[in-house]
Amino acid sequence: MSTSTAIRRDTATFRPGSRRQHEVTRLLPTPLLVIVIGVLAAIVLVPMLYIFLASINTDISVARGDFWPAEVTFENYTKIWTSVGLANGLMNSVLVAGSTAVVSAAVSVSTAYVLVRYQFRGRLTILRGLLALQSIPGTLMLLPVFVLFSSAATYLGVRVIGTQWGLFLTYLTFALPFSTWVMVTYLRGLPRELEEAARIDGASNLGVLFRIILPLSWPGIVVSGIFAFLLGWNDVLFASVMTRPESQTAAVALQVFGSSAEGGAIPFYGQMMASALVCAAPVVILYLIFQRYLVGGLTAGGVK
Amino acid sequence: MPINSREESLLEGGSVTVTPPRPAEPVTPTVENDEPGGTKGGQRRRRMSSEKNRPLWMLIPGGTLMVIIVVLPMLLGIYMATLNLDQYSLRRWVSAPFIGAENFVEALTGTPLIRAIWLSVSYSLVAMIITLPLGIAAAVATQNSFKGRGIVRSVFLIPYVLPAFVVATVWRTMFQPGGIIDNALQGIGIESGLWLNGPNSYWTLIIVQIWASWPFIYLLALSGLQAVDHEVHEASAIDGALWWNKLRYVVFPYLKGPLSLAFLIGMLHHINNFTLPFVLFGLPAPSDVEVLPLLTYVTSFQSFRFGLSAAMAFVSLVLVAIPLFVYLRAVKLDDAETPGVRK
Repeated sequence: MSTSTAIRRDTATFRPGSRRQHEVTRLLPTPLLVIVIGVLAAIVLVPMLYIFLASINTDISVARGDFWPAEVTFENYTKIWTSVGLANGLMNSVLVAGSTAVVSAAVSVSTAYVLVRYQFRGRLTILRGLLALQSIPGTLMLLPVFVLFSSAATYLGVRVIGTQWGLFLTYLTFALPFSTWVMVTYLRGLPRELEEAARIDGASNLGVLFRIILPLSWPGIVVSGIFAFLLGWNDVLFASVMTRPESQTAAVALQVFGSSAEGGAIPFYGQMMASALVCAAPVVILYLIFQRYLVGGLTAGGVK
Repeated sequence: MPINSREESLLEGGSVTVTPPRPAEPVTPTVENDEPGGTKGGQRRRRMSSEKNRPLWMLIPGGTLMVIIVVLPMLLGIYMATLNLDQYSLRRWVSAPFIGAENFVEALTGTPLIRAIWLSVSYSLVAMIITLPLGIAAAVATQNSFKGRGIVRSVFLIPYVLPAFVVATVWRTMFQPGGIIDNALQGIGIESGLWLNGPNSYWTLIIVQIWASWPFIYLLALSGLQAVDHEVHEASAIDGALWWNKLRYVVFPYLKGPLSLAFLIGMLHHINNFTLPFVLFGLPAPSDVEVLPLLTYVTSFQSFRFGLSAAMAFVSLVLVAIPLFVYLRAVKLDDAETPGVRK
């Protein structure tokens, strides 16, 4: 009952190979392998190292292009919470992205279950639609969502724009199709036998869903939740239009800080880099913890 | 299944037919054919029992939500493209004047829309063409196990998991005039112009996009490599194939499927990418990077020509629909566990 990640399967079949086995499957001569890995790792790691170094550097030193800090200071990390508004921003991000994750993961399970296990008219159309919806341009949704929300204020007297509710609803737009698709791909990998056994024992449809499917598919649920979370966490397009300073997400706070700092004086590079690291940290940590499950999902619909 | 057929022909003592690699369907467990999609092959008996009480109502929560918050706004967006909508009529958009295709005509003739389409498509394509060899090289290099491979694989995925706004903020700082990149280039004697303004900005966008998205190609290439049977390795070892020939003629054919998929998905993402150019260059963006999402955004929320902007958004939907159509036809909705990851 493994997850569908091909990578795990690989480690199971290829790793225990003997030395000869290893020679047979080898794809690149060793020197070339070292060069390729070295170059690519440098391409990734040098900018990463630079972010960290710049975040503990002074703004002047970053501005004149030093790689190593002129003097080490951790001041940036104490300032950003108020100057960038990161404390507020991170809280909003967690709130909005977190609730998006919970709702879309919860809703997607039952939808995906029916889509995977039952045959009905329009099923393939729905599956196709789920994939297609992930690729509709955000700019196409931005305006109508904005207009609908502002007319909610005009006609119903409910203010949605500028609140976290508005963002939450918007992110559901994109998270639901994706979460459902991730769950579909996950549930396909589950064997039917358990459900059938439960049915023979007299379980109802809901019983099967709650007693069999839910406990077995938590890795899939976690993955679809994480992707929904990242969608909200990473978004700038909608958040830049639909938030006020007090409901700003971390992404918008950083973007605003970065662009407002252009005014003759040296921008606060150190604080920008420190904030960038802080915003990236939860994502990277989530990824490292759930890596083995996430990699399968990354290729599923190709989120991002 | 290639393996069986080869063994059989060896046993029979007949001519040894070398079965060509079939990347499309390597060793698929036949059990999976029970999936509900297999309608042609006749219904299986054991599914008939559950056929009677299909809990289709379970689709209702997800389905209703999706119709309300996805389908409705989308249709509304398309409808808005035909309205004369500005900041004054926006509040009362229901009664905004209908002007048919006028927005589209204006978008095509009176705005840099055509140029934006060209910029979007060309930048996406150039970035994609350069990420392909990078991703393949990374996948090939980490396919065989070695000490520390797990760490290398994790490191390779970092740029892909980093939020786009973080990537853009960081590169924006590095590309500042007199910043770290200018300094480094000066060190090797290259005098570069401005990166975040003027014609160079187009290449800046491509460079950053490549940095952020090559791991995606790497992931899909890796999934393609999993499909290479061990027997194929042995066969080419027995033939004494050199590494390059083995890659070129034996291994790469397996990558064709996953990589064409990666190509399509990647193009979709690049064309739709708003965050990267927006955060990297800020507004107003240099005209050399005014890609379609940026132009649509500016038309809406800086010029307040909402109807016009909706027309542009519709054009980008049409543009995206082309690779999307190919993608949806290529993906086996039922057989493949996940698109790209063949079983």
